[in-house]
Amino acid sequence: MKLRLLIYILGAITGLTACIERDNSEFTDIPIIKSYLRPGDCLRLNVSRQIPFSYNVSYSSDDIDDLKITVTNNNIDYILTPLGGGNYIDSSLIVAEGERYDLFCIYNSKNVTAYTEVPLKPFNFKQSATSISVMRMDSTTVPTGGGGMWVMPEPLKLTWVNNDDTYYILVIENMEETLDPVRDFGDDKMPEWRFRKAPTTSSGIQMRPQEFQYFGNHRIILYHVLPDYASLYDENTASSQNLTNPSTSIMNGYGIFTGLNADTLYLYVNEQ
Amino acid sequence: MIRKIGQKILSFPPRLLLVSLSILFSGILTAQQKEYSFNSPGSKCYFNYVCFTADSNYTMKRRPFIFILGEENVTARELFERDTLKNSAQFMNYYFVYLPGSGTTGGHKLGCIEALASLLTYNFRYGRSNLFFQVNDTIIKRNDINLHGLRTVFKSIRFSAEDNLLAENGLGTGAIQDDFKEAVSEYGPEEKVVEDLAKYYVEETDDYVSEYDTVEEKPQKIFFGAPETFNYTLTGIIHDQSTGEALPFASIRILGTIIGTTTNTDGYFTLLKVPTDTSTLIVQYVGYEKTPVFLTPMAPKKNLSINIRPQSQTLSEVKITAYKDDVVFVKKAEVSTIKLTPMKMEQLPAIGERDIMRSFQLMPGISASNESSSGLYVRGGTPDQNLVLYDGFTVYHVDHLYGFFSAFNSNALKDIQLYKGGFESRFGGRISSVTEITSKEGNQKAINFGFDISMLSTNLFVEIPAGTKFSSFLAFRKSYQGSVYNLIFNKFNRSRTEDAPDVGTGPGRRFSQNEDIYSYFYDLNGKLTYKPTDKDIISLSFFNGTDKLDNSFSSDIPSFGQFNANFSMNSVDLTSYGNIGTSLKWSRRWNSKLYGNTILSYSNYYNKRDRSSERNLINPGNESSTSMSGIFENNDLKDYSLKSDYQLEMTSFSQFQFGTFATSYDIKYSYALSDTATILDRDGRAILGGAYLQNRIKLLKDRLQVLPGIRLNYFESTDKFYIEPRASVTFNITDRLILKGSTGKYYQFANRVMREDIMSGSKEFWILSDGNSVPVSSSVHFIAGFSYEAENYTFSAEGYYKKINNLTEYSLRINASPIRMDYNENFFNGYGYSQGLEFLVQKNSGNLNGWISYTLGEAKNQFNEYSDDYFPANQNVTHEFKIVGLYKYRRWDFSANWIYATGRPYTAPSGAYTVTLLDGTEQDFFTVTAKNSILLPDYHRFDISATYKLLMGKKGDKRRRELGFVSFTLFNVYNHRNIWYKQFTIVEGEVIETNINYLGITPNFALSLKLR
Repeated sequence: MKLRLLIYILGAITGLTACIERDNSEFTDIPIIKSYLRPGDCLRLNVSRQIPFSYNVSYSSDDIDDLKITVTNNNIDYILTPLGGGNYIDSSLIVAEGERYDLFCIYNSKNVTAYTEVPLKPFNFKQSATSISVMRMDSTTVPTGGGGMWVMPEPLKLTWVNNDDTYYILVIENMEETLDPVRDFGDDKMPEWRFRKAPTTSSGIQMRPQEFQYFGNHRIILYHVLPDYASLYDENTASSQNLTNPSTSIMNGYGIFTGLNADTLYLYVNEQ
Repeated sequence: MIRKIGQKILSFPPRLLLVSLSILFSGILTAQQKEYSFNSPGSKCYFNYVCFTADSNYTMKRRPFIFILGEENVTARELFERDTLKNSAQFMNYYFVYLPGSGTTGGHKLGCIEALASLLTYNFRYGRSNLFFQVNDTIIKRNDINLHGLRTVFKSIRFSAEDNLLAENGLGTGAIQDDFKEAVSEYGPEEKVVEDLAKYYVEETDDYVSEYDTVEEKPQKIFFGAPETFNYTLTGIIHDQSTGEALPFASIRILGTIIGTTTNTDGYFTLLKVPTDTSTLIVQYVGYEKTPVFLTPMAPKKNLSINIRPQSQTLSEVKITAYKDDVVFVKKAEVSTIKLTPMKMEQLPAIGERDIMRSFQLMPGISASNESSSGLYVRGGTPDQNLVLYDGFTVYHVDHLYGFFSAFNSNALKDIQLYKGGFESRFGGRISSVTEITSKEGNQKAINFGFDISMLSTNLFVEIPAGTKFSSFLAFRKSYQGSVYNLIFNKFNRSRTEDAPDVGTGPGRRFSQNEDIYSYFYDLNGKLTYKPTDKDIISLSFFNGTDKLDNSFSSDIPSFGQFNANFSMNSVDLTSYGNIGTSLKWSRRWNSKLYGNTILSYSNYYNKRDRSSERNLINPGNESSTSMSGIFENNDLKDYSLKSDYQLEMTSFSQFQFGTFATSYDIKYSYALSDTATILDRDGRAILGGAYLQNRIKLLKDRLQVLPGIRLNYFESTDKFYIEPRASVTFNITDRLILKGSTGKYYQFANRVMREDIMSGSKEFWILSDGNSVPVSSSVHFIAGFSYEAENYTFSAEGYYKKINNLTEYSLRINASPIRMDYNENFFNGYGYSQGLEFLVQKNSGNLNGWISYTLGEAKNQFNEYSDDYFPANQNVTHEFKIVGLYKYRRWDFSANWIYATGRPYTAPSGAYTVTLLDGTEQDFFTVTAKNSILLPDYHRFDISATYKLLMGKKGDKRRRELGFVSFTLFNVYNHRNIWYKQFTIVEGEVIETNINYLGITPNFALSLKLR
């Protein structure tokens, strides 16, 4: 009798749980917005859809090229013009240093918002040398010079003023039309003609000459960026316990909507 | 005065002196007799009788008794005055009982004598060999004696009318000095008192059961006289008979009424409306025998000491019970309260240790699917919302070994109460629930010690009493890296091996890696109790639990990279956390109506985590550079508290409880990524003070109990007052059916906030509310339910709704401001609710017992930063079904439980997108599902255990002392892969999903031995 009662109860519970509706809406169609707001440029942005990890997802019916995107600056609303391919522009809206820009649109019945402020141009950006020397190496070159004393080359010091611990990022570009590598890469993939240093909140950086992979003229661009851009460089791992994605100011959206400002220095890399 | 003189003389005097003195004092002695009525007028056995002892000690029953039945129509008083036996030196220490010669037939009189003898000798507690009967009534014949079975009641019976007649079969054998001679060696089982210092077990073979039943001394009603006092106040204390431990929260009810109460934390009780001094009390406490206590006019009305016996003899009760207020305790129905005693917790399956928190998790409303948390998820609340009080001080962290075990050593605990919600005003500072733990004072009668060993830890305890006023208890437990420990440790640290430096093993490259992992946990519990007077108890309790988890390694990698530079790396992963707490408590019963205690306490929780790498690079120019990076986390909470609680029995229907409290908090938290990059560094200091008042009112002949209360807090950080009105009500519709309800407002000033962490897993830290980024959280509870007591079953159901405001989480993934970097702004605030229904059916008697529980629940939160709508909270579980069965067979206890819970929610990557960075590279990022929108697979597992009692003595002994037990547990019998969480790795646009599972099938063996 008791056993039967137990079976009934178990059966009832199992039946109940079988009917639980599982919310398997694993995919939510949220737009990706990408825009760098640089002083002097007109405001451009790109809207795209996520690439889903699973099949059988349904996107919203919103047309990616027919969104009403408003950017507000100084209490004036600018409605961006679609260019196709998810690109939008307002050529009348020239981005200015220190200004705040608010974005608004409706996508998948949700209000997508974001805002940013254009940081100030880097101040007092200086270099310790306008040229450096790097030894050309091939597969037979021994850096120690055959047992002689190997002299550590003087590093390049780049400094700027950063009193408020804001983020800066350096991008170094080789400006030569023909790339002249400092060593023989053999079958290895050639390094990129431009590279970056990790975002920093310091007011200077030292670069070893060995970091330069090509001889010739280089452009050193110091970007003054906002924390949301700096966070794009964070590492990517995730679990259901600590899932994370890059920090963004965009609500109901992903991507980057951030202001930045830059200053540039030039450097020549000689052969030693 | 007289007694003192008498004792002195008795201790060493010539008998002659004694005789002359006794004669000298006889005139005074007559004034010491006591006259009582036996039964009420109208009763066949109604008469007055006189008792007399020379030393005026009427409670000492281990002495000879002489019952004297007077001649016809002689009153007891007259008989007493005429009697000269009492003046005899030989009978100085005897207890005389004078019975009137009333009634018409011998049967009339004799029929009542055995009952009276039983009453006066505490049911022949010390045997019958020293009970004597002198019959002066000439009507009484020997046949009458035989007819009423008095030959078996008395050792010798003499007939004055037949003086000097040698009676047959022991009816008088000569001189009265011989017939009524005290036989000291024949007193009954005096050693029984000693025996009861331990738990005993009765071999339940068929032979012994029947024998035992006849031998076992059961309390019986022994007083049949008329009551002398009506509607009086009775105070007392309830003890464990074997150890002398006072029993907190035991229930006392007056039989035949619904008048009842419970003891306070020190075991004291006050019963205000005892109808008569011949009423019967029913005392009940989980794990102990339900004990009737028969009051008599002679019993003390103040400080009545009641001893109840552990249930070793029957071994049939359920060890954990919803504080069910069954038919016995209908009056004291509490809302949402569960009570547990660790006494027989070994009967339940355990992973490695008997664990109070795990046992609670088998009850409805408390989530059982969080193997990695000993903290309780009560009704959709998080563990930090559950106030844990250990002997009056707050314990802030209850986990050992990543949460698989609780910090509480069950050997050290006496009583645990869990208030799942709607709790009283005397508790505060938490918004969900309260766990109130009382530790053992230690055996007050004899030294005791014991030890346990399992595949996880060794456990030692010792109990040392000193005199009658001092007792002490000390328990120590330490893990060792046995199989269970390693299983859990490795599970948690499986990623460790993946973190080893990937430098390849090509020609010319070699590296060595040293791992020297040493991890452990230990805890120490102790208590010193001093009872200077009957009214005062002073106790010092301390608790220290520590976990040290070391997962560090070091590597030396010469010839690393293209230059001849030496590279070495020390990776440190060291976590140490623990609690230190102590309380000094002074309890005092000021008078029969006022009871109070004051507690001075200190509690410290610390958690230091250093997960970092130190990289040392020595280049060929012998220049070295050192860099350190990682996570440095330090949480240090200190709580200094002083509080006083009082209980005032104002009237028979109203009890006031009031108190004041003050806590000084100092909560530090720092979180850094390197020596220079400090993310958060907070030091919250504030005083929380206040007072509460609550009034337990009993109306409608005690059927209705209302408990309104109010708690007032002042919090220094916000400079504000917080008022918490609360109320609960229970109504006994019938003696079996109770309706319950409660509501209340609750505030929490110190919160544990979750910090999302990318690399190392989310961590939680304690932080003090500042009124801004971390506001004072609050909740409102609404609870309603009923319970019904059937003969052997309890049915109960409760529904709850809890609204929560000002929840806080810390996350770096959401940008509070894209413009300014201030990590203090990354605290996010939200609100939420939880609601649910709980059902429990419990069978609480018989060899097979247990319970079935089902909870339907929902817990949702809303944080603007995460979502526009409510999303399921991390701890949300929709259905939870638990069945627990306990079966007793002779010395074996078998148990099994099956737990089924719907999966908890989680968030997963759902897609990807690409951003072109300023250097032209493209970086992939992933998008996530709506917060907690996916459910993990359902959780279920089946555990079994078998416990075998180890007994002293040899087979065949009637009663054998319990020496300990061996137990075998199989956890997760069918090895179901329950998912703890999912881990995602994104490799070249592909999501690799890994299930991190909870424990699979895990056997454990435990041996427990103790002296008593």
